[in-house]
Amino acid sequence: VPYTDAFKDHLAHPRNAGELSDANAIAEETNPVCGDRLRLSLRIRDGRIEAARFLAYGCPPTLACGSAIAEIIEGMALDDAAKLSKYEIVEAVGGLPSRKQHAASLAIETLRSAIGKLTTSSAED
Amino acid sequence: MLTPSASRNKPGVGSRFSDARTEISVVMRKVYLDHSATTPIDSRVLEAMLPYLTEKFGNASSVHGFGQEARAAVDRARRQVASLIGARANEIVFTSGGTEANNLAIRGVCEAAEIHGRHVITSAIEHPSVRGVIDQLEKDGWEITRLPVYDDGIVRIDDVRAAIRRDTILISVMMANNEIGTIQPVMEIGELVHEERKRGHRHLWLHTDAVQAAGRLSIDVQTLGCDLLSMSAHKIYAPKGTGALFIRRGVRLLPQQVGGHQERERRAGTESVANVVAFGIAAELTQKEMNERNDHARRLRDRFENEVESQINDIVFNGNREQRLSHVSNISFRFIEGEGLLIHLDMQGVAVSTGSACSSGTLEPSPVIRALGRDEELARGAIRFSFGKDNTDEEVDYAVAALTTAVESLRALSPLRVQSAEFGVRS
Repeated sequence: VPYTDAFKDHLAHPRNAGELSDANAIAEETNPVCGDRLRLSLRIRDGRIEAARFLAYGCPPTLACGSAIAEIIEGMALDDAAKLSKYEIVEAVGGLPSRKQHAASLAIETLRSAIGKLTTSSAED
Repeated sequence: MLTPSASRNKPGVGSRFSDARTEISVVMRKVYLDHSATTPIDSRVLEAMLPYLTEKFGNASSVHGFGQEARAAVDRARRQVASLIGARANEIVFTSGGTEANNLAIRGVCEAAEIHGRHVITSAIEHPSVRGVIDQLEKDGWEITRLPVYDDGIVRIDDVRAAIRRDTILISVMMANNEIGTIQPVMEIGELVHEERKRGHRHLWLHTDAVQAAGRLSIDVQTLGCDLLSMSAHKIYAPKGTGALFIRRGVRLLPQQVGGHQERERRAGTESVANVVAFGIAAELTQKEMNERNDHARRLRDRFENEVESQINDIVFNGNREQRLSHVSNISFRFIEGEGLLIHLDMQGVAVSTGSACSSGTLEPSPVIRALGRDEELARGAIRFSFGKDNTDEEVDYAVAALTTAVESLRALSPLRVQSAEFGVRS
C-alpha cells in the first residue's frame, strides 16, 4: 500500500496517544472481521471535548485513524464531533484504499460509542 | 551515524503514557533484512549476464552462430544449476521462477499419473505457490492430506508414513520453510518412498519445493531421493524471472505450457538466455561460497537474536531454532501487529517482512505461524528477518536499535498491553 506522507506522519508521530485518568467518556471497539481495536478516552465539559486520547491495536490504518480522530476531536464541540464521518478521517490521513477504509469506520464507531456512554452516565447523574 | 531515536511524548493532561516513547525519527539509512523475499544481484552475476543482453542476443533455438552461442550458454548454465543439486544436466528444466516450477511439478505429475490414484500428501506450511495448486486440485475432486507441523514447524515422518495410501501418487513437502526457515525431513521421506516402491507402489512421486533451501543447504538429489525439486534464481543473487525444476530421469509429467520444443518438450517458450546465464553463474558461486555465506549469516542472525532477546520482552521465537536455515529469524512480538511494525521499521530504513512476502497484502494472519498453534495475536505479530552475505555487524546493531524503538512505540499505543498491565496489577 503506497501510504501518504500524512499517513506516515501519524504513525511516526501519533497525536494524543495514551489514556486520560480523568476521562468521563471511554469506549473500546473491535472490528469483528480483522480483530483491530481502538480505545478512546475523552474528557467532556460544557458540551466540548476538552481532551482526547487513543490506544490502538491492528494494521497501520487503524493506528493512523486513531491518531487522526484523537487530534481532530480535541477542542471540538460535542455536537460537531457527533456529526463527523469516516470521510473526514480518511482525508486526515491523506486517503486510504477502499479495502482499508474500515479503519476510519472503526474510529467513527468508537467516537460515537464513547459519546453515547457519556450521555448515559450524565443521565444517571 | 544516524541512529533510531525516540523523543518523549508531549506530556498530556493525565496521560498514562506521558513518559512513553511513541515517536520515532525518520532517517534515510537502508538496511535490507529480507533476503528470503529476494536478494540483490551479485556484481559477478551481473557481469556474466550483460553480454547476453547486448551483443550475444541470439535465440538459443536458432541454427546460426548467434543461436549456437546462446545455446552453448544455456547448456553451460544447465550444467552449473544441475551441479548445485547433484543432478544430471538433462534433468533440469528452466522455468520463469519457483512458482512455475512448483506448478509444473505438481500439476504435471498429477495429470500424468491420475489413472493410478487421486491422493496427494503435503504439509500445512507450504508456500502459496504449492498450496494454491493443491487447493485447486482439491476443488477438482482430488483428495489431499495436509500434514501437521506441531509447535516446532517440522513434519513428522510417522505422519507421512501413516498418510500414504495405495492411491497416493504425489508427496509434496518443502525442503525449508519460507517464513520460519525450518528444515523438513525430505531425505527420510525419500527413504519412505523408496521402501513403498520396493513394496510395489510404483506410481508414487516425491516433490520438494527447495526455493529457500537451494544454495543454502548442501543438496544432492541422489541422497535426498526426491523425484522433483523446485528452485529459484533470485534467492541466490541472480535476477527475478528464472527458476528451474529438477525432473528425475524416468519421471513422466505433462507439460503445462505447450507450443514449442524447448526444454525437451517439457516447457515451451524461448529461453531467457541472459537470466539463465545469471542463474548458472549464481549457482556456481553459491556452491563455492555456501559454507562461508552460511557461517556469516548464522553469526549475524545469532547476534541479532541474542540482542533482541536481551532488549525486548514478551517475544516468541517461531519454529525450531536448531533445525532451520542459517539466515532466518522469525519472531512474534506480543501486543502489536506485524504490518505496523514493518512500516515503522521501513520508516527507519530497515526492510523486513511479515507473513509470507507474497501474501503481505492480505489481512489474514500468517497460516504458517497459525499452523504452529500460535494464537491470533502472535500470528499477527510475527516478523521475518532474513540475513544476507553482504549484511554487516553494524547493520544488525542498527536494526536491533530500530526494532527496539518501533516495538516500544507501538506497545505504548496498544490497548492489549494496557489490559495486560492492568491484569498484572490486580493479580
